[in-house]
Amino acid sequence: MGISTSIHVGPFEILSPPKPSVSSVQRYGQHNLPGRLFVVEGIDGSGKSTQLSLLHKWLEARGYGVVFSEWNSSPLVKDTTRLGKKKKLLTPATFSLVHATDFADRTEHSILPFLKAGAIVLCDRYIYTAFARDAARGMDGDWVRDLYGFAVKPTAAFYFRVPLETAIGRLVGARDGFKYYEAGLDLGLTLDAEDSFRLFQGRILEEYESMIPEFGLTVIDATMPVEKQQEQVRQIVQSHLANAKELRVQP
Amino acid sequence: MRQTYGKQLPGMRLTDLPGKLIVIEGTDGAGRSTQINLLKPWLEELGHAVLDTGMTRSRLAGDGIRRAKEHNNLGRVTQSLFYATDFIDRFEKEIVPALRAGFVVLTDRYIYSLMARAIVRGMDPAWIRSIYSVALKPDAVFYLRIAIEQLLPRVVFSRGFDYWESGMDLFPGQDIYEGFCSYQATLLAEFDRLAEEYKFEIVDASADARTVCAHLKKKILEIIDPVRVEAPAAKPPDPFAELLADKIFANLKCGTKEPDHRAAHSLLPPPPPPPHDPHARGNGSGPRV
Repeated sequence: MGISTSIHVGPFEILSPPKPSVSSVQRYGQHNLPGRLFVVEGIDGSGKSTQLSLLHKWLEARGYGVVFSEWNSSPLVKDTTRLGKKKKLLTPATFSLVHATDFADRTEHSILPFLKAGAIVLCDRYIYTAFARDAARGMDGDWVRDLYGFAVKPTAAFYFRVPLETAIGRLVGARDGFKYYEAGLDLGLTLDAEDSFRLFQGRILEEYESMIPEFGLTVIDATMPVEKQQEQVRQIVQSHLANAKELRVQP
Repeated sequence: MRQTYGKQLPGMRLTDLPGKLIVIEGTDGAGRSTQINLLKPWLEELGHAVLDTGMTRSRLAGDGIRRAKEHNNLGRVTQSLFYATDFIDRFEKEIVPALRAGFVVLTDRYIYSLMARAIVRGMDPAWIRSIYSVALKPDAVFYLRIAIEQLLPRVVFSRGFDYWESGMDLFPGQDIYEGFCSYQATLLAEFDRLAEEYKFEIVDASADARTVCAHLKKKILEIIDPVRVEAPAAKPPDPFAELLADKIFANLKCGTKEPDHRAAHSLLPPPPPPPHDPHARGNGSGPRV
C-alpha cells in the first residue's frame, strides 16, 4: 500500500453526517415520491393476500409497473428470523426487533427505491401488523411506533375486517395446524394451539380496531364476497392513480 | 432498584439485580478487549463471577450480522436494527440473567457505541435513543479515549485497516486511509458528545495497557467492593516485589526516555503496615452475599 513509516497526521476533517433518513411516520408521510404504496392488513384468514393478488393482476393488466413485497421476506434477515423461530429464541422484544430489521431491509431495498422510480408497491402486511402483534405480546406501543419511524406512509392501507370465528373457520379448512408464533404460543396463554390462536388473534383484532382511527386505515368488510371486496379495493386504488399516468409502462 | 433509560421491556423486573454492570466503551483500537482480557481473570481471582460480552456475540443475530456484512447491500437502517436485535438478545438472555445471579458483567461496548455508529450513519439521534431506552443504566462506563494520532500507528502496524472500521460504507470513493481518518474522527466527535451526555468516566487510552489497567482496577474496586476499598488492606503490598516488577516492566519498554516515576517512588521507604483486618483481602475473596 506504500505507507511511509513516518506518519504525518494532519487535522482531520469531521464530515457532517448524511442527512437523517429516519423520521416519524407522519413526517415521512409528507414525502413526495412519484410511486404509490398500497398495503393490506388483517388477521390470518381475513383474505387480504387473495385481495392483494387480485389487485396486482389488475394493475399489471392496466400497464403499471408493480412491485410486491411480503412481510418477513428479506433475504438478509430471514435466516436470523428462521433461527429464532425454529430454536424458540425469540422474546417479545427480539421478535419485534428481528421483524423491524427485516422490514428495514425491505424498505431500503424493495420499497423506497421503487417508489422513487415511480412504481406501484404492494405490501402484504405492513407496520400495522408489527404494531398489533408486538402490542399483543406486551411491548410498549410508543416504543414500537418509534421503532418503525423510518417507514414510508402508505398511499392507502386496507384493513380486512373479519370476525375471529370466520377467520379460524377458513384456516382450519385450509392449513394443517396453527404455527407456534402465529398462534402466540410463545406467550404461554394456553397449551392448545387453536385456543391460543383464538386468544392471541383476539388481542390483535382489538389492536387493529384502535389503529383504524389512529392511522386512517381503510376498512373493507372481509365477510363480503371476494368479488365485491375487490371491486371496492380497485375503486379506492383507482382514485389514487388519477395523477399517476407517468407510472404506466409500455406493454 | 435499577433504572432504564426510559422504557421497560415486558416481563423485566428491575429489582433483584445485585450484580454490577461495567461498560468498557471506546472507538476501534482503543484497547477495550485487551483491558477486558486483563480485568476478567483479575476479578475472578478476587472471587467474582464474571460475564464478558460484546457486540455480535448473540446466539440469535451474531451469525446473521456477519453474513450480512460480507455483502455490500446492508442498508444503514437495517444495519442499525440488526445490531439492536443482537444487543437486546444478549441483554435479555445474558446480561440481565447474569446481573440477577450477582455476576460482574464486563461488556465490551454497550448502547453508546451502537448509538454513535448509527448517528454517524445519519440515523435520527432521537430514533436510536428511543430504541435503546429499554437498556439498563450501567454502574459505570469507562470510555477508553484515544486520539486518532495515537490510534493510527496501532492500526497501521498491527492489524491493518478494516473496511467497516474505516467507514468505507459511509465514505466511498476515499482510500481506506482517508476513510479511516474521516470515519474515526467523526465517530470520536460523537463519542465525546455522548461522554458528556451520559457522564462517561474518561480514561486516557494512549497510556500503556498496564497503566490503563491499574487505573481501571482501582475504579472498578470502588464499584464492586466499596467497603474493601475504604478498609485498609490486611496484607501490606511488598514494596520490593513491586519495585522489581516495575523495573522489569520499565526495561521491557524500549525507547522510553522519561524516567519511570512510579519505580522511583517505590524506592522510598514503605508506608507503615496498616492494622490487621481479618475480613479484608486474602481470605475474603469469596462471592459476596
